[in-house]
Amino acid sequence: MTAVISARGLTKRYGNTTAVDNISFEIPSGRIIGLIGPNGSGKTTTLKAALGLVSFDGELKVLGLDPRTHRDELMEQVCFIADVAILPRWLKVRDAIDFVAGVHPKFDRAKAERYLAHTKLKPGMKVKEMSKGMIVQLHLALVMAIDAKLLVLDEPTLGLDIIYRKQFYQNLLEDYFDENKTIIVTTHQVEEIEHILSDLMFIQDGKITLSATMDEVGDRFVEVMVSAEHIAAAKALNPIDERQVFGKSVMLFDGVPRAQIAALGEMRNVGVADLFVAKMKGTYA
Amino acid sequence: MNTMKWLVKREFWEHKGGFFWTPAVIGALMTLILGITMIAAVYFGSKHGIHINGAQVTNLAEVVDAQERAEMVTAIANGYMGTAAPLFMVMGFVVFFFCLGCLYDERKDRSVLFWKSLPVSDSETVLAKVATALVLAPLITLAFATITGLMSLFFICLAAAIGGVNVFGGVLATAATWLAPFQIASIIPVYVLWALPTVGWLMMVSAWARTKPFLWAVGVPVLTGALLSWFNAMFDFGWNISWFWQNIVARGLLSVAPGSWFAFFDADFGANVGPDNANLMMLVGQSWSALTRANIWIGAVLGSAMIYAAIRLRRWKDEG
Repeated sequence: MTAVISARGLTKRYGNTTAVDNISFEIPSGRIIGLIGPNGSGKTTTLKAALGLVSFDGELKVLGLDPRTHRDELMEQVCFIADVAILPRWLKVRDAIDFVAGVHPKFDRAKAERYLAHTKLKPGMKVKEMSKGMIVQLHLALVMAIDAKLLVLDEPTLGLDIIYRKQFYQNLLEDYFDENKTIIVTTHQVEEIEHILSDLMFIQDGKITLSATMDEVGDRFVEVMVSAEHIAAAKALNPIDERQVFGKSVMLFDGVPRAQIAALGEMRNVGVADLFVAKMKGTYA
Repeated sequence: MNTMKWLVKREFWEHKGGFFWTPAVIGALMTLILGITMIAAVYFGSKHGIHINGAQVTNLAEVVDAQERAEMVTAIANGYMGTAAPLFMVMGFVVFFFCLGCLYDERKDRSVLFWKSLPVSDSETVLAKVATALVLAPLITLAFATITGLMSLFFICLAAAIGGVNVFGGVLATAATWLAPFQIASIIPVYVLWALPTVGWLMMVSAWARTKPFLWAVGVPVLTGALLSWFNAMFDFGWNISWFWQNIVARGLLSVAPGSWFAFFDADFGANVGPDNANLMMLVGQSWSALTRANIWIGAVLGSAMIYAAIRLRRWKDEG
């Protein structure tokens, strides 16, 4: 299967600062990838490069096309929500649907209308009369009705309440995603999306620090609540993180065989959020 | 082509206030004011008569002979669209501020990220905006101008009829009456070419400026002109400063005003047009003869280059 995105030596500099530092990766199709990183780590820049919104150095192909030179073709296959609530204030629901139906060959009008029927949005409503959550619903209705091969979501639910957030990802999973589509999503609310992800990519200071499938992550990383008598033994195995919970040490191990760890205490699978915090230690220090 | 239709529609939705409601409301107000004036004039005219050459006249029919009546018909047929001239002047302002805002506002409210998520090229988007400014706006304005003009024609003829001179038949039977809107429409290509440098400049600034596009668009040429004038006066360079003011500053900023080409060419250009022979056909002919001047073509080329720059800026400018 060909890669949806393949990057080799992708670099983006803004003056003296390097936002994306010589990264290489491949994203196969049919995946849901979480691109996770602290603020200013280069995730938005990477996505912008892939969407042909900024120039860059190195090699980057999206669906086999160079986004710098073939952006217009690419946008028939790729869809994105680049920020929360960026629909123009004057736009009416009805006009938004008419417009996208008019310019996008892969837009399924009935699908958008079906989805909107489950919301409180009315055809004559203008964006400026909507709450942030409703604007995102409209945007999602437009995007989901487009049969694109790649969907990029950059902080699509920032600032929404939990009901809208849950609904957003649920709709995405139930009514949109299939094996021919690929979704890349960035968000700070990692816990909320970890169950839908198939792949995880951590990015820090413009570099990819972790790229693995969720199964691999589950195999590699394990968290143990270490009993007091085993602390020395546990430390010898080089935990990548250690924290105290109710006076007990919780340690995070990377790639240590489970058999070895089992004796140390109670094991459990690590959450993406905890893993992220552990991996990003020192980011803001 | 279908994409283009939707893009222009999109501009219309966004700027309905400027392109549609502005001429509609001004046209309606003018009609109203003219109507009230006519009613008042007729009322007072019938009561007190009107003074023509010092003589008091209550029935115009007594002083208007057949030839004068024919002249009246010609004047009304050729001139009634002129009553709608304010609509075109206002259109100049609307087009100016549309061009200045059209590539800036979408970056400011970040909606550009939505437009760019659709398979529409930057060239199509920017050219649709140019078409909206230079073709759609004049056509809508012309439509309202025609309605306004016909309303005033009706009021004028009605007033004349009440005064005793019925010119309705004559005016309505004159081809010039019906041709007038089309004659004005035939100037639109001249307007498109003529306005290109201003549209290009404003849109380029609109696509480039991070803040305050108006200050950049107006400030840069005006300050440059002021500095050049000051140097010229200080060091006695003997530059032809008025050439700069006219051909760069004014031409670059004011060419969206319909008919502004009349102001730019030498005296002989519009010399034959006066109040007594304000013949529409002549205005059309003279407008088209502007195409024989290098000025309009140089402006059109520079304007197109700046529109191209605006397209590139929209494609590559990173808003961070």
